[in-house]
Amino acid sequence: MESGVPLLEIRNLHAGIDGNQILNGIDIEIGPGEIHAIMGRNGSGKTTTANIVMGHPDFDVESGEIKLNGKDLLELESWERAKEGVFLSFQYPQAVPGLQVGNFLKKSVASINGEEAAKGKKFRELLKNSMKELNMPSSFLSRYVNDGFSGGEKKRFEILQMMLLQPQLAILDETDSGLDIDGIRTVATGINSSIRGTDSGALIITHYSRILDYIKPDKIHVLIDGKIVATGDATLATDLEENGYDWLEEKVRRGGD
Amino acid sequence: MNAINRYKEVSGTTDRADHLWRYTPWRKVHPTGDIDTVPDVNKEPKIRLINLDGTEITKGISLQKIDQSGEVLPDVDVVATTFLKAVSENSKWVLKTERKFVSRTPILLEIDANNDIDSLELILDIGEMSEFEMVTLIKGETKWMGLLRSGRIGNGSNINDITVGLQKKGVLLRLDSISLGRDANMNTGTVSSGSQRTKADLRYRMSENGSNLQVLGSILSRDDMYLDYHIEIQHDAPETFSRLKWHAACGGKSRTIGTGMLKVAKGSTGTDAAQNFHNLLLSKDAEADGIPELEVSESNVVGCGHGIANGPIDENQEFYLHSRGYSKSDARSALIAAFLNSTLTKMGSPVLHGWLSKLLTSELEVMNN
Repeated sequence: MESGVPLLEIRNLHAGIDGNQILNGIDIEIGPGEIHAIMGRNGSGKTTTANIVMGHPDFDVESGEIKLNGKDLLELESWERAKEGVFLSFQYPQAVPGLQVGNFLKKSVASINGEEAAKGKKFRELLKNSMKELNMPSSFLSRYVNDGFSGGEKKRFEILQMMLLQPQLAILDETDSGLDIDGIRTVATGINSSIRGTDSGALIITHYSRILDYIKPDKIHVLIDGKIVATGDATLATDLEENGYDWLEEKVRRGGD
Repeated sequence: MNAINRYKEVSGTTDRADHLWRYTPWRKVHPTGDIDTVPDVNKEPKIRLINLDGTEITKGISLQKIDQSGEVLPDVDVVATTFLKAVSENSKWVLKTERKFVSRTPILLEIDANNDIDSLELILDIGEMSEFEMVTLIKGETKWMGLLRSGRIGNGSNINDITVGLQKKGVLLRLDSISLGRDANMNTGTVSSGSQRTKADLRYRMSENGSNLQVLGSILSRDDMYLDYHIEIQHDAPETFSRLKWHAACGGKSRTIGTGMLKVAKGSTGTDAAQNFHNLLLSKDAEADGIPELEVSESNVVGCGHGIANGPIDENQEFYLHSRGYSKSDARSALIAAFLNSTLTKMGSPVLHGWLSKLLTSELEVMNN
């Protein structure tokens, strides 16, 4: 990685789906080791941003740039982005009945980090320790991917994958939704241990400030109608929790300060 | 009257209006297409009974050639049944287990068919309280293979019975006509990725209280295969349970058909039954039909349901795997395997499942190449 090059750079991103424009010029820059959060009401474009960075084929990028370590992600297919180090923890992870968790994890690690990374004692240790950290029993490995998982199990499983894949950029789309306080704490521990003190970065998408109590973000961005209308430090999350989004929307309507 | 004459008396009586013959007329699966004839069959397929791990079978189970034909269920299709009895005249076998026969190692009944026409009648005589798993593997390069299985699963027995079709080409005509005894449990599965044309009529009857039946299918069709399965489950006694779960993945220009008939007779109180067909379409030229039907004559049942789902590979599942580094082809293969595995996994023990999974993986590799 060149020094001074941001880990993730999103510039003037305009995008949508089926002819409906959702993102109206987003700019975000995340440096190595940084954790950013995006907050916003339902329908503001948070999940669209996550899907577009990951390369969901249903979304159309009209203009703008997305770069990871200076490399143009828009040129790459979604699996190529994963190999470059982009990881998306899904808001609603897909169930794949018939695909065993253990086989799925091995194949994912082998695809992204190479065959050797999915073999031997080192992999087994990493898997065992990560599962322990997330309070997941070993019997989990013989279940089918997200099939019959509770909401909390699904979110833990997403974080387990993140811990094994060790991505450059983790995008966590409402990973805290549906989790109880213990679950949030466990998941936050997993996120902190994967990102803090590394060259990786994370973009956390959330409605609530609770998870941000455990993962202190370096920056918080507020998304309204597909545009970032405010960026601040962790105190911005508290303001939003206490006062809602109306004051920011009003500010946008008035055209700034 | 001999078997050939019995067939000739009924040969022309199939009706396209019948559920069974609606999609595949009899002449299309008859060895010559001339339905009034019964071809001479002088040779028979090779058949052997061993353990799945290659070791010798244990005492208590036997396979013997016999002269007499087996009893079939009262409402089987008379044309296909009498025809199979006629062409299997020289190859009639009984697979018998003693009372309380137990095998912890799955058993393999291998049918190696390499003649122009091969046919076999197999009578299952499963003793009470038996417990074992058996794979019937049909392989070889025959142009036409017929298999008629009839018999009874003894009271209180617990059987996993899987038929694997790996015939390289040609036609497979397969009939099951099996009744379950009191409190018998039977998992009967079909794994198929062979034969160019298959017509199967699989019928099971629960005529005594408390029997449980699960009929499962993992069907992979490719190229120009044409696979037509009819499954009929009859509840003729109280407190009986059945599930039909049929998964077919269809690629190339292939066509699969799954028709189900669930019959609940008057007096079969407490019946719990459901049938479900799910077809995965892998190409724009592939075609799949699933037609579940119910005839319920008893009102005091736990439930009788049916469902059908047809569709291509789920784009959201595909994207999920792509986001985990699976390439386009890897994701597709994994999702087809998972789809078929979700019925395969219910067919038996982990050992049996491992054996079937390996087999399916190699068949998927053939398809992908």
